[in-house]
Amino acid sequence: MTEPTGGPDLVIETTGLTKRYGDVVAVDQLSLQVPRGGVFGFLGPNGSGKTTTMGMLLGLVQPTSGEARIFGDAVGRSDTLRRIGAMVESPTFYPYLSGRANLRYFQAIGRRGSPADIDRLLELVDLGKRADSKFATYSLGMKQRLGIACALLGEPDLVFLDEPTNGLDPAGVVEVRELVRDLGKGGRTIVLSSHLLAETELVCDHVAVLGKGKLIVQGNIKALLHEKDSFWLGTTDDAAAATLLATLPAVEKVATGQGELVVTAPPARAAEITRALAQAGIYVTKLVPIRHTLESFFMEITGTDPTTGRGLS
Amino acid sequence: MIGRIGDLAIWEWFKLRRRWMLWILLAFAILFAQLAVWGSFFSYQNLRTTGGEITVPATLQSQQGRAPRTLACNDLLSADPARQPTDLDSQVLDGMRAQCRQQLATQPQRLQRAYENLTLPGSIPLALGTLQTLGLILIAVLTASAIGIDYGAGTLRSVLVQGTGRWPYLAAKLLTLVILAGLALIVATVSVVISSAIAERLAAAAAASTAAWSSAGIALWKAWLSLIPYITLTTFVTVLARSSAAGMAIGLGYYFAEQILVALLSNFFSWFANVAEYLPVHSISAWSGSTPFGGPAAPADLAHAGFVLVGYTLVLGGLAFWLFQRRDVQGATGGG
Repeated sequence: MTEPTGGPDLVIETTGLTKRYGDVVAVDQLSLQVPRGGVFGFLGPNGSGKTTTMGMLLGLVQPTSGEARIFGDAVGRSDTLRRIGAMVESPTFYPYLSGRANLRYFQAIGRRGSPADIDRLLELVDLGKRADSKFATYSLGMKQRLGIACALLGEPDLVFLDEPTNGLDPAGVVEVRELVRDLGKGGRTIVLSSHLLAETELVCDHVAVLGKGKLIVQGNIKALLHEKDSFWLGTTDDAAAATLLATLPAVEKVATGQGELVVTAPPARAAEITRALAQAGIYVTKLVPIRHTLESFFMEITGTDPTTGRGLS
Repeated sequence: MIGRIGDLAIWEWFKLRRRWMLWILLAFAILFAQLAVWGSFFSYQNLRTTGGEITVPATLQSQQGRAPRTLACNDLLSADPARQPTDLDSQVLDGMRAQCRQQLATQPQRLQRAYENLTLPGSIPLALGTLQTLGLILIAVLTASAIGIDYGAGTLRSVLVQGTGRWPYLAAKLLTLVILAGLALIVATVSVVISSAIAERLAAAAAASTAAWSSAGIALWKAWLSLIPYITLTTFVTVLARSSAAGMAIGLGYYFAEQILVALLSNFFSWFANVAEYLPVHSISAWSGSTPFGGPAAPADLAHAGFVLVGYTLVLGGLAFWLFQRRDVQGATGGG
């Protein structure tokens, strides 16, 4: 792999990227930064603008306004595209060609590696035995795996995978998860678009969340989830505790849920909080950390279901 | 860049040669070329054995309700009473014999012309002329299919993310189609050469062909060039509609629509005949000297027809490239 030539540590950078289809704004003023290396989760419900954004980054869709750079270069340049592998939306291949012939074709027109790589990639995605069958005869899962193999032709520095686990059985999902995690090691960047947040959480280092075409939040996944660290708190006097906690700088928010206090604060400052309560004569009877998942985080910040994009009642 | 387009064209061939459609279309082209040769052979043999034929209309036959039939001049002019029809009025027979004697006067020239149509090199322009109409239809089908599949199957997106570049990819497709059209004509011509050699032996005539080989070469060259405007027309429609079905429908339909329109409007408005000289199918016909629907050949102002065809090729090709270059690429549209 060659070293990215873009900004210090960004492989993708967009500024005010916008795409309109008539009155519909598919992507709205998107300013995205994807750091080099690792797996970057590109999250959002269906119709949130993920695929349109990928299309713009790959030069398939013309932005209405704004700018996008990959490896520091304007998008759509042939030499830049040759450093990128992509599977956008559903995998598309020539139905009358075999899986092997399809890979051979795409490898040749993109000048990506040597024919010997094809067998290795087919084995990697477990398609070795069906490599010579026509693509039209493949199941959805096999098509998906061929799409992943095609995206990896030529050892690209940056790989876009749009919903790569669609149509895969549970074992296949685990295999792809492991594969994506491995691919993200060693300086290569994987941009993984998905609405399956539990899967994404297991493999991603950074995420960006889109909703209705707008960027809601982006950053390191651990930092984002820890931003929302909270715990259930039971005390000898919850009402007095709530009043006291609201005055402490370590506490971001105090709420009541299921008859107990829900305190949003960094776990590292738990000792400071309990000490303050004890000094006021309020004793802690229960302190249980609340584990935030990406899914709960997503629902909290977007107020929508991660799959359908519909508002939560 | 030219090397890159050539490289992409080789890989376009990699895809196309794996499609049955290509070989079926080629088989049709060869079949039509063969029909021209063997049609000429049987026409020649018939002329030789019958001395020409006269059609007897139903109204001249003594038995009512009989269908029109043909009689051989060799029978009518024979002194053998057994070879004479018995159910025709003697005056009618005399008239027909007079017609036969007239035909007989031109028999050597007619035989010579028929012989040249079945033997080399005269059979080649005839076969290519016969193939012209079908060739336009076949190349429209192939072009629409080769370009439309990338929209139907959604493979255009997979292709472009490889960094091929948009216009080099379309240019490679067009180059492949133009080369394939030429190769198909050459293959059809080779089949005509073989069948003409066989037909000449079977005819076993003492005559010699006076046709020039240069006419065969010119016919091949013209037939090939006349397909190029039609390739660009079909490419433009397929790219515009992002659909092979639309490309095929317009590619096929336009060929007939233009001729029907010209025939109809020229009857009502004499000035429309001048307009027709600027239409593509009329110009293709004029350029190649082919005769659509077996009708009279269009007036052969080669330079005018050539300019019109170059104009259509440049405008339609330019529009196709412009659209292909600037439009957003979507997912699969279905079909192929």
